[in-house]
Amino acid sequence: MSRYEVNSLLYRLKKDAAFRTRFNADPEAALAGLDLTEAERAAFIARDMERINALGGYLHLVMSVPGMAAHVTHPERE
Amino acid sequence: MGRIVFAAAMSHVLDPDYYQAACGLSGRRKVEACMTEIRKLGDAFLARRPDALIVVADDHVNAFSFNAVPAMCVRIGRHVNRMFQEEAEAFDKVLDGMPERYALHEELANRILEDGLGAGFDLALSWEAPIDHAFLSPVMTMHGSRPVTPLVPIWVNCFIAPQPTPARCFALGRHIAAVVAKSPWSVGVIATGGLSHFPELLLPRVGESDVVFDQKLLHWLEAGEHEPLLSLTTSELHKTGEHEFLNWMVLLGAVTPARADVRYFGELGRINLAAVEWRLA
Repeated sequence: MSRYEVNSLLYRLKKDAAFRTRFNADPEAALAGLDLTEAERAAFIARDMERINALGGYLHLVMSVPGMAAHVTHPERE
Repeated sequence: MGRIVFAAAMSHVLDPDYYQAACGLSGRRKVEACMTEIRKLGDAFLARRPDALIVVADDHVNAFSFNAVPAMCVRIGRHVNRMFQEEAEAFDKVLDGMPERYALHEELANRILEDGLGAGFDLALSWEAPIDHAFLSPVMTMHGSRPVTPLVPIWVNCFIAPQPTPARCFALGRHIAAVVAKSPWSVGVIATGGLSHFPELLLPRVGESDVVFDQKLLHWLEAGEHEPLLSLTTSELHKTGEHEFLNWMVLLGAVTPARADVRYFGELGRINLAAVEWRLA
């Protein structure tokens, strides 16, 4: 199962615009007090969605948090 | 006596801009071709003068947060709202511009729920959960500017492990068929999502799909061979990016042993787009 703390944070970043604004302004302060490992905290501060996904972050959240989403594109193919 | 008068399954991000951004012009062309077939399915559905449309789809952590993730859930009440997402990105953007509120077929939803509980099918219920692209992109593509048929949204947890088994999803479909048969209504059923994409839900694998597995599934659907599908496992679906086939299993249970006709199949790398209709007696 995916790690709850990582996913609840992703969910909050997606759905709570005020929290997202706080995170964008000062990520370390926004994450203070959350039950995250150092690796998880570092991945969020770096806005590293691939790492967050590898740490258990649910793919569809990783791909849809406004302003942070990972956009994967593919070469043209027929 | 009620009848299932229409059954189809289809991909559910029906957005040419999304696929052009992700996959270039071939992405746009292929999703447009798929949407053309889905519009024709919508015409066929509406020509049967349906009373209700059951939509079996999955949530993308939009309707349900981490306070509860139901394995299977029926939306009851009189209306349902579409999911609203500020600054929507990617697949969430397809909802922008769609109507905000949709009528539900309250009585059919209640019967599916209540008869289910009576028969040992412990479905979750929701009065408030909104519906996201998995429901509305197919529904709006099928209806276009015509009035939307009263809906019965049913969620299956396709993504958050542990998911319900394919066999259990099929059994839910059998239950739905029994409820419809006892009702006075003409009912359509659609299942949405797929086919193969996002194997193992890992970002580095976005862009991969399993065409061979898709073709195996489609062969069984076309041949009406449902037995092998019942022994699929959620682990197999996870590895092949077929998570949303759980929705299709519900539909299959509702129409078995009907055979399917593939109306569209397009390989896109990122996903294999599909539209399939079942031949109902």
